[in-house]
Amino acid sequence: MTSTEIRPHTPAQLVRLVAGREISTRIRDKGFLIGSGVLIVLILGMLVFQVAVNSGGNATELGVVGGSAAVTDALQAQGKALDTDVSVVDYDDEAAARRAVEDGDVDAALLSPSAAQPELLVEKSGGTAETVVQGAVQGMAVTQQLADAGVQLQSPPQVDLVALDPDADADTEAAIVALVGVVVLYSLLILFGQFVAQGVVEEKSSRVVELLLATMRPWQLLAGKVLGLGLLGLAQMLVIAVIGVAGALAFDVVELPGRLIGTVVTVIAWFVLGYAFYASVFAAAASLVSRQEDLASVITPASLLLVVGFVISIQAAQDPTGTLSTVTSFIPGLSPLVMPVRQAAGAAAWWEVVVAVVLMLVTIAVIVRVGGRIYSGALLRTGGKVKLRDAMRAER
Amino acid sequence: MLEIDGLYKAYGDNQVLEGVSFTVAPGQMFGFCGSNGAGKTTTMRIAMGLARADAGEVRWLGRSVDEAVRRRIGYMPEERGLYPKMKVGEQLTYFARLHGLDAAPAARAAETWAERLGLGGRRGDRVEKLSLGNQQRVQLAAALVSEPDVLILDEPFSGLDPVGVDSLAEALLEQCRRGVPVVFSSHQLDLVERLCDAVGILARGKIVASGTVEELRSGAAGRQLRVVAPDAPPGWAAAVPGVRVVSEQRADVVLELGPGTDDQQVLAAALATGRVTHFAWREPTLVELFRGAVTDTRAVAA
Repeated sequence: MTSTEIRPHTPAQLVRLVAGREISTRIRDKGFLIGSGVLIVLILGMLVFQVAVNSGGNATELGVVGGSAAVTDALQAQGKALDTDVSVVDYDDEAAARRAVEDGDVDAALLSPSAAQPELLVEKSGGTAETVVQGAVQGMAVTQQLADAGVQLQSPPQVDLVALDPDADADTEAAIVALVGVVVLYSLLILFGQFVAQGVVEEKSSRVVELLLATMRPWQLLAGKVLGLGLLGLAQMLVIAVIGVAGALAFDVVELPGRLIGTVVTVIAWFVLGYAFYASVFAAAASLVSRQEDLASVITPASLLLVVGFVISIQAAQDPTGTLSTVTSFIPGLSPLVMPVRQAAGAAAWWEVVVAVVLMLVTIAVIVRVGGRIYSGALLRTGGKVKLRDAMRAER
Repeated sequence: MLEIDGLYKAYGDNQVLEGVSFTVAPGQMFGFCGSNGAGKTTTMRIAMGLARADAGEVRWLGRSVDEAVRRRIGYMPEERGLYPKMKVGEQLTYFARLHGLDAAPAARAAETWAERLGLGGRRGDRVEKLSLGNQQRVQLAAALVSEPDVLILDEPFSGLDPVGVDSLAEALLEQCRRGVPVVFSSHQLDLVERLCDAVGILARGKIVASGTVEELRSGAAGRQLRVVAPDAPPGWAAAVPGVRVVSEQRADVVLELGPGTDDQQVLAAALATGRVTHFAWREPTLVELFRGAVTDTRAVAA
């Protein structure tokens, strides 16, 4: 009676079928689409913010009336000392300079810089331009007075630079990139952990699990669900990474694109490990209850761990070598959030990363085993909350 | 041959099944009856691998039922279960695929079954938007969509209107004609009596009676004979040897005949009193058989 169209499934095929259903239903789900959209907008917002901060902080435009090459040089030298790019615009008379300041074309305008009483026009006092001009005018005056007194200035000796930590800036930058990455990683872990948990309870509360388990084993159902949602999470992570990296490069926010990409890859790798951990924990916890209303009570402990990891990772970005961040970067469950920040900041040796990854992998293996057992034991018990112990020793 | 062989199952101190055995031949419709809590659902769940028997086995074509065999069984659980937010058509396709069909045949089968069970126009609707009756049809379609070799249905008729009952009955009979053994449980004994070739009555974890309805009737103790003899004097029947009077209302008596007593002797005695307007064996209905079977074991158990 068995027709040729019907062939027995291998476990892998069943897992793929389950995963396919998870992806195709979730990808059309409003909650998922809105969540993804919000995350992407958030990333773009951060980029725009960075661009705005950068463009505001590092350039000063000065208008000069009656300037000279010496004046321009002095202003730019002073600007360099104050870590700002000074560009000088010459104006013919005070009226033109005044208009330019009022219109915001320049930050300030300097009138008759070589005179005894130079004047600086600003919209309001207290900007970088003021300090630059003050320093430059003083310097020129001192040089002039010395020259008048017949002192011949010899060029001062050049200081040799010995950089003890040439990457310090890059480290900070990478740590910030890693922190942004961890924000995304944290949001996606919470989001997809919730999806896994809700999916498990949905199947239990609607009793469809009985029909499913008549055709497959609990581990196949669990694996399909976790893998399907995991692939979707990874895809979303990649989309965000590509948008983030492309945006950062396009707007020239970062100085070392190579390190940026390295950090992003690290974060993605830790996302995979973190997802395997949290998805298994959330699924096992969710299998204990039969109603969506009871879900919060069982997944709160795991969610709290995730929040703790996130808080520590923010702290780690400021102090990547501190004891707290060092210790927690090895603790399975916390390591996916803390270690990428330490790695990016250059504070973790390669063997430390290896140890953290191995610890995480071992823990995942244990959790998949124990969690799978809880899941199989609790899946067919409906009504009320199943006790953890009962689920563990449950025979069907 | 679907064989349920000596199933035992206890949940804690509660011994639910105590050696349940019955067989269902290909093309046979088997009605599984029993009072609430008798163990019908547990038996079916064991057959579907959703519960593990403490002892005993379920076999199909002589082979112990494992996952591969189970994928060829269409199952309808007592607690209905579908994805509430999934569309009818997609859901049926998914279940067909889980049972081993390829994508294209699965989609075709889903379409066919939705059409046949009157859900053609609702294929694009989410299950949660359907009425309970229609959800029930989807549930049945999910059991049938993979063209299964065996059907095990737990209370498939509960909650259906008479038209729904008829269309479900027709669908099941068609499966029987296809050679599929069908097992279903029901409390609607009139329906079981009408549809089923064989019946099993479960009480206190055991099959207390099984066979065709005819067999059950002949095996039932206390077949009763009703005789109406309008002119007969009261007490005429009690005088016939080997006869016990169950009830006597004027000329209308119901009798139980002892072993070896000839019903023709009774007829002769009745005719001797004058006219006889009614003389017939009263066939017990399945409801009476069920009551008899269930109360017998209660008495034994008590």
